[in-house]
Amino acid sequence: MATALETVQDYAAKAYKYGFSTAIESDMAPKGLNEDIVRLISAKKNDPEWLAEWRLEAFRRWLTMEEPTWQKVHYPPIDYQDVHYYAAPKIKERPKSLDEIDPEIRSTYDKLGIPIKEQEILAGVAVDYVWDSVSVATTFRAKLEELGIIFCSVSEAVHDHPELVRKYLGSVVPAGDNFFAALNAAVFTDGSFVYVPKGVRCPMELSTYFRINEMNTGQFERTLIIAEAGSYVSYLEGCTAPQRDENQLHAAVVELIALDDAEIKYSTVQNWYPGNAEGKGGIYNFVTKRGTCRGKRSKISWTQVETGSAITWKYPSCILQGDDSVGEFYSVAVTNNAQQADTGTKMIHIGKRTRSRIVSKGISAGRADQTYRGLVRMQKGAEGARNHTQCDSMLIGDKCGAHTVPYIEIKNRTAQAEHEATTSKISDDQLFYCRSRGIPEEDAVALIVNGFCREVMNELPMEFAVEARKLLGISLEGSVG
Amino acid sequence: MNAPARATRSRYVPPIPAFADAFAAARASLPGKEAPSILDWRQRHFDRFVETGLPTSRVEQWKYTNIARAANVPMALAARPNVGLGDVQRYFTGGPLARRLIFVNGHLASELSHVRGLPRGMRIESLGTLLQDEPDWSARALGGPAEPHSFADLNAAFLQSGAWIELGDGAVLEHPLQLLFLTVGQPAAVMAHPRIVVRLGKEARLHLIETHIGLAEGHCLTNLVGHYELGEKARLVHDRLQLGSAGTSFVGLNRQRLAERAELKQTLATLGGSLVRNETDLHLAGRFVEAQLNGVYMPIGEEHVDNVIRVHHEAPDGHSDQFYKGVMDGRAHAAFAGKIIVHQDAQRTNAFQRNNNLLLSDDAEISSKPELEIYADDVKCSHGATCGELDPTALFYLRSRGLDRAQAESILTFAFAAEVIERFVDPAVRKLARECLVVRTPGGAGLSDLL
Repeated sequence: MATALETVQDYAAKAYKYGFSTAIESDMAPKGLNEDIVRLISAKKNDPEWLAEWRLEAFRRWLTMEEPTWQKVHYPPIDYQDVHYYAAPKIKERPKSLDEIDPEIRSTYDKLGIPIKEQEILAGVAVDYVWDSVSVATTFRAKLEELGIIFCSVSEAVHDHPELVRKYLGSVVPAGDNFFAALNAAVFTDGSFVYVPKGVRCPMELSTYFRINEMNTGQFERTLIIAEAGSYVSYLEGCTAPQRDENQLHAAVVELIALDDAEIKYSTVQNWYPGNAEGKGGIYNFVTKRGTCRGKRSKISWTQVETGSAITWKYPSCILQGDDSVGEFYSVAVTNNAQQADTGTKMIHIGKRTRSRIVSKGISAGRADQTYRGLVRMQKGAEGARNHTQCDSMLIGDKCGAHTVPYIEIKNRTAQAEHEATTSKISDDQLFYCRSRGIPEEDAVALIVNGFCREVMNELPMEFAVEARKLLGISLEGSVG
Repeated sequence: MNAPARATRSRYVPPIPAFADAFAAARASLPGKEAPSILDWRQRHFDRFVETGLPTSRVEQWKYTNIARAANVPMALAARPNVGLGDVQRYFTGGPLARRLIFVNGHLASELSHVRGLPRGMRIESLGTLLQDEPDWSARALGGPAEPHSFADLNAAFLQSGAWIELGDGAVLEHPLQLLFLTVGQPAAVMAHPRIVVRLGKEARLHLIETHIGLAEGHCLTNLVGHYELGEKARLVHDRLQLGSAGTSFVGLNRQRLAERAELKQTLATLGGSLVRNETDLHLAGRFVEAQLNGVYMPIGEEHVDNVIRVHHEAPDGHSDQFYKGVMDGRAHAAFAGKIIVHQDAQRTNAFQRNNNLLLSDDAEISSKPELEIYADDVKCSHGATCGELDPTALFYLRSRGLDRAQAESILTFAFAAEVIERFVDPAVRKLARECLVVRTPGGAGLSDLL
């Protein structure tokens, strides 16, 4: 029988089980970034004139911008000229049916535990598969089309629904919003596009699965979700990448727009390769996510489980513009070994009686460093607005750090904001209790951590909750004892 | 191909040339003017001030305060006007046996001050006198440059007076010591740069009262630096009352360092001043330190108050507690940024922070930033920040007892702020603070009977 130590070592070795890479022929742009590359991407994607111009404009803005340094993460300077800004699996044209997908790509998704075909039949989740820079497959399209729901890759949407894309693209995260958003606007290659028409309740979860495969590439996808008046959509996002020694950049942009009475639920389980125990390799996850509640009584809810990436740096935000609109942010962030995370949210209250709720649970282990950074702003017109924020951090081991940096800015007399935060370690009493009932220490820690995160886990759709719980356990493997 | 170089926007603005002119003019008249050691000390700090510049709101520590508006303007060192006992007597606190150092526009008013009859092992002196009489010793004692800080450097360059308070091991000052800073009207914009140095030996005890009174109508900036060193088991009670007037601005930096089992209880009330900025750097350097920081701010009109606090837990078993409350009226803006930093060795730290705010007007504004930075795992740290209106159920309760709405509101507002005022140790400070609080509470006139 294997000893406990061996079991742990086994676990540690397979901690990141998505670390393989697939040998598939790719169509890659040369390394580097300049106007020619931006034009090349435009040409590859067959962009209409306005989009090509928009990209170039964004690129010129990017040149004038400074890479931000205010965040509490450390990484060697990124050489933006040493990255391939376009990598796509070599396929003649987009497969018309799922059977035509390159078998190599299909087997990769199978290995990741998300068989494309099976997923469609069994889980009833519509999925868009994004491989390096381009979308390779989207399931369940016909069924969604019957309801008038558009779910496709952004590059298809640009051609099939130009009026919608043109109206909403960059309306929440403008091209010059920040350094990485500008970079994304210049070189984004694909992503998902969702449009839910008036009064339609999307009957299934929509999902995108992101996979970085090539070396020396960055992934720059752009997701755009529009929920018309009275509609509802729940969207899931998952991501993995091969295990490599160099760092790779993932700079995505997500824009959500909710009109009157619409609701968008956006869930992320982020499991990019976190680098090895010494902090070598891993993904830099620098993402801009923002939603606007444009309509009255609209609602946007972000739920995220962040276990991967060498560095996570993102702030899914809500602009609560419509009266009585609601913003929610539920987050679990786990950092282990040399991982770093600086994440949180922004709630901008503009409309009357807008409400927001923030629940953030951070778990830091090993030598990891983690920061919650959030902003709650009540504008002058946000009469009767409410916010409640709760940030709890748990420290496992004496070499890690957990930080809380909330900003609360109130400009309205009747607005109310409450913020509370605690930091503590796993209670010895709880551990002792579990162990005295015969639960091994590692399992006991997983149990306690799961309890600590329950509030957030409960917000996840069923399919994701199971995966997320498993991920939590794996991420903390080897952090105690 | 290399990407074009990106333009770097500076976070600091260069000081206007008027500072160099003022410095050149003042060098010959400031205390220690004949001593090369002092001149050199001043020059080094001034050079660094020019090099650093003045912070803009792009500097994180100054995010909510546009200090250049108040400070980057031509100012001369304030002259010393004639002030009699009658002008200052109403601000006397600490009881009849208290000792006092009184400063008018940054100059020591020795005829009004008295620190005589000190027990053995104590030294309480005017810094201006020390700089003049013992320049070499002072230059050493005041210390070499630590990290750059625009206003601390400016203070060193122009340092004119202040208090040097040193209590030896076991020395106990029975009665409070009051430092009274008075700012009175000047036709032109002026500045004053006082400094307070407090060194408490082992088991020494001191009750220090620091009152800043502004009577100026014109623009007057007080730039205070405080250095506090508490030895083992020393205890400092520090009551700080800031009663500025329209036109007076205040920028203060306090650095406190506490050795093992030392205790600090500081209570600060900011009840006036166009722009008041209080920066506190508290280091819990020894084990089992107890530190309590209380504060209340109540800006009205166009006033601006900014409190920045950093509590560094550097050793195990420390306990710190921050309790700050704010009431904003008119077009006032207040900011609170409290940070708890727990270093890796500081296990078993208990650190708490609370910041409660009340907005009374539609144009008032509060920015609160309670921060935790924690590197040790066996700690208990928490913070809470709230902002809102008066509790409707409390209002209802008072109204059901026959009070009208306005009365009920003023009672609740007063009570909200008074919770901190009650933490002043000296009864005279408490009384003075309450009086100012009443004036600032809407409908407060009806409350004066309650005092």
